[in-house]
Amino acid sequence: MNSRSPSENFRRILGRVVQQDFVGRASELDRIMVQAEPTNAGRGLLLLMEPSAGVSELLRQAYDQLFNQHSDVIPIYFAITPNETTAVSAAIEFLNTFVQQYIAFRRNEPVVSNAPLTLQELLELALPADLEWIEQLIESYNRLRFGNDDKALVRFCLGAPQRVPSGRGRPFVMVDGSQLAEYLNGAVVLGTEILRVFGRGSFSFVLAGLRRQILEAAHDAKCDFELLDTLRLEQLETSEAAKLVEHVARRQQVTTSEIARDLLVQQFAGSPFFINIFLQAAREKHTSLISYLDCQRLYVDELFGGHIHRHFADLLEEISPRLDTRHLLIRLLWEAAAGEDQVSSFEVWRKRLHMGASELEDVLHRLHVQEFINWDGATVEAGAGPQAWKDYLKIRYRLDVLNEPRALVVADMLADSLKRAPHTMARHYKQIADAGLRDLISRFNCQRVPAVLFDYQSFSSKYKGAESDTVVSGLAAETEFVKLPQTVHLASCAAFFSDMRQLCEEDHCLVAHTFEEGSYADAQQVIWLAADIKSKLEVDVEVARAWCDRLENMAERLSFSRFQIWLISNEGFSDSAFRLLERRKAFGSSRQQLGLLAARVGDTVVSDIVQTSERDEFLMVVPMGEDNELIAANTAEQIAKRLTFRPEAINQIKTAIVEACINASEHSFSPDRKIYQRFRVESDRLVITISSRGIVPANLNGANSGSEAAEERRGWGLKLIRTLMDEVEFERVDDGTSLRMTKYLRPQKSTKGANES
Amino acid sequence: MDTPSGKLVRSHCVGTTAVVYASDYLNKLTGEKIERECRRQLNCGCRALVIDFSDTKLVNSIGVSILLGIIDVAEKCGARIAFSEVNNETVQLFEMLGLTRHVVLAKDEREALMNLSHYETTPIVH
Repeated sequence: MNSRSPSENFRRILGRVVQQDFVGRASELDRIMVQAEPTNAGRGLLLLMEPSAGVSELLRQAYDQLFNQHSDVIPIYFAITPNETTAVSAAIEFLNTFVQQYIAFRRNEPVVSNAPLTLQELLELALPADLEWIEQLIESYNRLRFGNDDKALVRFCLGAPQRVPSGRGRPFVMVDGSQLAEYLNGAVVLGTEILRVFGRGSFSFVLAGLRRQILEAAHDAKCDFELLDTLRLEQLETSEAAKLVEHVARRQQVTTSEIARDLLVQQFAGSPFFINIFLQAAREKHTSLISYLDCQRLYVDELFGGHIHRHFADLLEEISPRLDTRHLLIRLLWEAAAGEDQVSSFEVWRKRLHMGASELEDVLHRLHVQEFINWDGATVEAGAGPQAWKDYLKIRYRLDVLNEPRALVVADMLADSLKRAPHTMARHYKQIADAGLRDLISRFNCQRVPAVLFDYQSFSSKYKGAESDTVVSGLAAETEFVKLPQTVHLASCAAFFSDMRQLCEEDHCLVAHTFEEGSYADAQQVIWLAADIKSKLEVDVEVARAWCDRLENMAERLSFSRFQIWLISNEGFSDSAFRLLERRKAFGSSRQQLGLLAARVGDTVVSDIVQTSERDEFLMVVPMGEDNELIAANTAEQIAKRLTFRPEAINQIKTAIVEACINASEHSFSPDRKIYQRFRVESDRLVITISSRGIVPANLNGANSGSEAAEERRGWGLKLIRTLMDEVEFERVDDGTSLRMTKYLRPQKSTKGANES
Repeated sequence: MDTPSGKLVRSHCVGTTAVVYASDYLNKLTGEKIERECRRQLNCGCRALVIDFSDTKLVNSIGVSILLGIIDVAEKCGARIAFSEVNNETVQLFEMLGLTRHVVLAKDEREALMNLSHYETTPIVH
């Protein structure tokens, strides 16, 4: 069933955004629509939601889709809100909602779904064919309503969909906010009753709630799990979250830049909830989100007094209603999270919070359900939760516990957030760049690949410098093969051995549990230990030995009896390093081999020259790689000729551009893999700006190339550029680098004899 | 006689000296082709190398680093190396990056061969 079929006649009923603006949950929406199909009658779907992943709009969109399809499936959407204080009042509200939405659907009048109508008024709107059974339903309800049996009343109300006579449609009930059902007052636990009543009904339903809570509720209600399906609702993928930011910003009329968009996606870890409330705050404050500073100013405002503040303040108040206890809790949560050992015992928490066991159990349960802590009954692990929660906790601790001046806390938080922003993006860019190795190993599944792809020396002697066609045909003619194992589990080394975190980035070193021949026996189990060594040159023997030592050491400490070390380096390994790898029975591959392996295991130069509105200014965007720096250099040559630069100077400009492009390609982990170039012609000079998104390499932070750098065989680019051009300056940008180079028609100063034009 | 050693790298031997021709843009890929060809010639018994830059208009820093690697390899094999017909801009680049300290620059291929022939008669002492 295709759930995405925008049409002019599509009516928005409960959805808060138009269908086209609902992004990022297409597959989940499709899954809910499948649940509504007759084959799933009597089955339930538990939507297990990560906190702040957002579910309401998904269910509302599903409601609108089903209403508009107008088949025999009658959508019912019910949200439990904090306004309901008891299970009985919530159940009565459910009955009202059910009758109202049933009648709206049967009359095909969406407006009835939202109108403030009493049961009696609804009865008057019922179709003649439905009048009798709805009248009976309301009469029965009125009888029970004034009885003393709350449980019977709750069950009656929740069971209303069961009373729809056959041939009058099949109710499909979606309940939102079931996490609130646990905390309603009274003797009846609404969440348990919902699951019991719905689980025994013949209609299909969706129950959405916090993942840690809803599964527990299903167990408590002794549900038949054979009749329950589950769907996990996590934060959005990066690309979907970016789309969401764009859509919400447009809807809220907030101006944003790509840089700000990407920061918000990373900072809120793709959470639709935080993205929505943040952009709503931007609209309310008439703030554009262009730079990191714009974003972090608003973020800090939000933490101190906006929507984010209210969200966490409300949660904390629910978790710990008493103010004095709340302050103790904030203190304990922050100190435990900031301490070296984040795990402590239940008893320690009880003493620190001065609480009885049952009261503490309730507090810990609520914190655990919100995923602010991990509590297994005996120990409590602090330090979990989204970044916004950690920041909120920190400022509450400093304000409420340490009584620090608010202005100081605000200033520190703003400075910290700003300093964190480039690191957040850098981590993201590196993750993208490193995803290749992770993805490749995860796809190992007993494929046969040429052995030469794991043997750098042999590969180098056969194929180094060869055209790609020659390499491909050479590999096709290879006669020696390696059969890859099947990967069953893959994680970073740091996940196994925390010491590795200090030695390399998370995804640079991986542990893969594999089985040879896909045969699950001790003899076939091999642990692959793969490390991606960052080096511009062939890795030398010392570096190779250090890596082999640390990986072997790790294997020994983790009792990996059979393991295979695989080192990867951009440019491969020196002869002596490779001989060492052979002796240690380790594999060694270059980045090129890795690419060829990826192609076996699994899976156009367009330049855009635009003259800007400024006369004599040209913009050009070229993709990184494929010698595209030459396109930029040749363009510069044409422009420089107009200014009558001498051939020697033109060559210097071209070389500088080539080097700037190489720097951008090699160092930036650029997310879009593009180089942006701006050529500005002035009467006496040519100003060229080369920009790329991504991270700022350490050696480009304005540092002059010293003698050490000159000794290196790579990393000369910036030194060359400074020598070839008259002025070289890094422009401040939030994301990536922007290098401005100027060449004068006449040298400004006589200090650079080599640069005469 | 030209040696068919790769799609784009031309080379030929004069006695025990190999002449390898660089292409118009010396970058990582074309540099590696030259390196491969030089290694091949040395393995075949050449005692001297001339890399001719008559077609080369632009050299980038990665290309230079590969040339340094070739010089290393040649030194290890006890072979002499000369660069011929390098344009002025590239000579400046080589000077900036210290390449000219390790290699003889000749006006053209003929001069390079003449320079190297002087050393060819000198016995190599290991």
